[in-house]
Amino acid sequence: MSHSSSPPPRSRDASEVSFDFDERVLDNGLRVVLHEDRAAPIVAVHLMYHVGSKDERAGRRGFAHLFEHLLFQGSQHVAESEHFKFIQNAGGTLNGSTWFDRTNYYETLPSSHLDLALWLESDRMGFFAPGITQEKLDNQRDVVKNERRQAYENRPYGLAFETVLRMAYPEGHPYRHPTIGFMEDLDAATLENVHEFFDSYYGPNNAVLVLAGDFDAKDALRRIDRYFGEIPPRPRPASVEVPPPALDGGRRGTIEDQVHVPRVYLMYHAPSFNEPDFETSDLLSHLLSDGKSSRLHHELIYDKRIAGEVHAFTWPTECAGMFFVVATARPGVAAGSLEEAMLESISGLRGDGLSEDEVEGARNRARRVLVQQLNDIGGRADAFAHAAVLRGEPGYVNDAFARYREVSLKGCAGLASEIFDDTRLVALHVVPATEGEEAE
Amino acid sequence: MSTAGALDRTRPPLSEELRPLELPLFHRFRLDNGLKLLVAENPKLPEVSLRLILEAGAAAEQPELGGVAELTGRLLSEGAAGRSALEMAAWLDRLGAAFGASVGYDVANLSMHFLSDVSDGALDYLRAVVREPAFEEEEVARVRQERLDEIERHLDEPAVLADLRLIRAIYGDHPYGRPAGGEPETVASLGAAGVAGFHAERYVPDGAVLIACGALDARAFSDAVALRFDDWTGAGARSELPSPASASAGGLILVDREHSAQAEIRVGRIGMEYAAPDFFPATLANAILGGLFNSRINMNLREDKGWTYGARSSFRFRRGAGPFVVSAAVESAAAAGAFREILAEIQSLVKRPPDDGELRLAKNALTLSLPRQFETPSLVTRKVATQQIYELPEDYWETYADRVEAVTPEEIVDAATSRIPSESMTLLAVASGAEVRPMLEEVGDVSVENAESG
Repeated sequence: MSHSSSPPPRSRDASEVSFDFDERVLDNGLRVVLHEDRAAPIVAVHLMYHVGSKDERAGRRGFAHLFEHLLFQGSQHVAESEHFKFIQNAGGTLNGSTWFDRTNYYETLPSSHLDLALWLESDRMGFFAPGITQEKLDNQRDVVKNERRQAYENRPYGLAFETVLRMAYPEGHPYRHPTIGFMEDLDAATLENVHEFFDSYYGPNNAVLVLAGDFDAKDALRRIDRYFGEIPPRPRPASVEVPPPALDGGRRGTIEDQVHVPRVYLMYHAPSFNEPDFETSDLLSHLLSDGKSSRLHHELIYDKRIAGEVHAFTWPTECAGMFFVVATARPGVAAGSLEEAMLESISGLRGDGLSEDEVEGARNRARRVLVQQLNDIGGRADAFAHAAVLRGEPGYVNDAFARYREVSLKGCAGLASEIFDDTRLVALHVVPATEGEEAE
Repeated sequence: MSTAGALDRTRPPLSEELRPLELPLFHRFRLDNGLKLLVAENPKLPEVSLRLILEAGAAAEQPELGGVAELTGRLLSEGAAGRSALEMAAWLDRLGAAFGASVGYDVANLSMHFLSDVSDGALDYLRAVVREPAFEEEEVARVRQERLDEIERHLDEPAVLADLRLIRAIYGDHPYGRPAGGEPETVASLGAAGVAGFHAERYVPDGAVLIACGALDARAFSDAVALRFDDWTGAGARSELPSPASASAGGLILVDREHSAQAEIRVGRIGMEYAAPDFFPATLANAILGGLFNSRINMNLREDKGWTYGARSSFRFRRGAGPFVVSAAVESAAAAGAFREILAEIQSLVKRPPDDGELRLAKNALTLSLPRQFETPSLVTRKVATQQIYELPEDYWETYADRVEAVTPEEIVDAATSRIPSESMTLLAVASGAEVRPMLEEVGDVSVENAESG
């Protein structure tokens, strides 16, 4: 077991927040992050595996997420549908999620039941295979297909993001497809695929376990080693190569949907979560759409009155970062003129368009949002896990406050000039379906 | 590292001793004008959550002014205390604070979240929006139009459309039959005078409650509130309860939405009020039926049949009897089967009373989760707001677990029998009519509505 101790505790005031933590690696390669917070008698257990939709092969898009569902279906010592029951019976909450780069499994429950969480998570890491059956696969395949229908196909604008990804990346690129996957690929998934996937990606040495909350770190570490220590490591999966986005011209497209008004999706290639300018990029999103004084709110909703909703955000991906600007038109406004106005607002962040006051406000909002994301142990455990898996440094959670504070006006303007490059813009218009013959 | 004894993985580890829940200590103050202050210190992080609860919900509206409560809430921050809408926005955003007005049937809930180093500024802002909103005609017209656009956009969501059509079918002309935000017909006719009138009548200190929790000193924070609010005046106006709704006869409604990729289904009826004597038995009945992942309906429709990503049921408790609703988005071919199974599960709650395991799960899920439900300042203020809005006992959360534990299986069956009888349920599907109508006709007489109008 190797050990690296956390930095000494720092002063805490409104401008700086820091969380003590300890980081260890078990002999089998499982990385462990322990963050004590004894305020409430609860503990958050987060297990994040370094596998996501970007690791899927062609013809099996959506498999990482389908697999996540199967991991709730029991293992050698945990009967079908008992996993949820055990946690809820302890008063806990639980879930899992799959994304491009990682898959996580987590629960927050009374600290008196810490061992229960460790037992459940270690059983599905170490003893998953004997529990899986064709029947469970078929059932969860149906559930996931209904998830795709509910969350994407039957939802207004629900297919926009997967269309943008398809436009932005070439055939075979790991970020080209959505995490939910495609119906025909879900249909093609076999039990053999399930076992292969588990053997390739679900070893202890491809995961980070984070505990946050009410426990004694030394004692918790002993328990973790007891439950996870005997699980053998597996060959480390080869990491998928993510080619940088193409430098040639942008992409444009239009799709129809059952909606009343058009919506415009713009995607720019931007710093990933692992790049030094990530916080600056995120701050640009606050400048564009966080608060009614933000650029897009002020200009598109208030002044020009051409948009009903505006939203700018970054995706904290491991590689190839993405910056989205999305605006929904007011009735009667065409997608083209909305896009034109969006581009004008975005270009206002370049050069000398920004004021110190505006940037200071964005920094303040970003810090407040950060506190809100980290004020519960579940949010903190997730942040530690995300930073540990994607950046290899859980301590980023603490550095983030300083990094946001240090973002300068010059840095914002500089990054805006660099990433808001209209020659590499991916633009999608979602427009109301043209009425067919049978329409009233 | 040595491990003490061999690990037995064949059975779940036993629970260790549960540390008792310590609820935050609230300091209580009351200003001379009636404004109640409830303030708790939680210095863990430099943040403050604040809520101001006002007797300004939609149930207090005149029917012809439907939507005025929501519009008033939205307009508070659109120009106030001599500052324009843009200046107000710049002020809040420079503080880095968040402000929102959430207006339901019962009350208006103004909430703020900010870092503690800007507490004074945040309270100045709150004073301005609560006491001196401008309601300029131009801004009212703009925000009214934004509201109308938003109502139209939301109808694109099958789930929103289903909820809306269901409450109309269940409640008819009763206030709970229209959305709390109002319907386009009445929203379109609202003007500055109506908004200002509603504000003058309803945004008053008497009956209002300000709840705060976070990195603050209770005494100093209360003084800071008093400094800004003790000369606020206005007579009390507790909202009248809407009269009880008359029960609808049920029925099966198909909202025909062409090209739907799924059927968004609802099963519902009039439910009950928060203060009802059988609140706890009914809440447990719902937890067993459809309130949890492992509840009967979800285990049947999702884990057995694979028809849906998830199915759930809930009572929407209000001051009056809000609805009981079962919701699921199911594959179109399963719409009729899903209705049958949901009704069968509702009936089975009476025929097949909860066994020990089910009862234990439902009770534990409600009681052992309490520490989680009070973890952050914003969760704490939300819990206390619930106690205040529904005039629940002062020790409501302290005694909550005991009240849940005291419920017997017989009381649960009684609550299920009287509160959710399967025969009076209204069934509704937002789905592609061509695909599901023939199969729904096997379930019952179908009345068809248009998704666009009606």
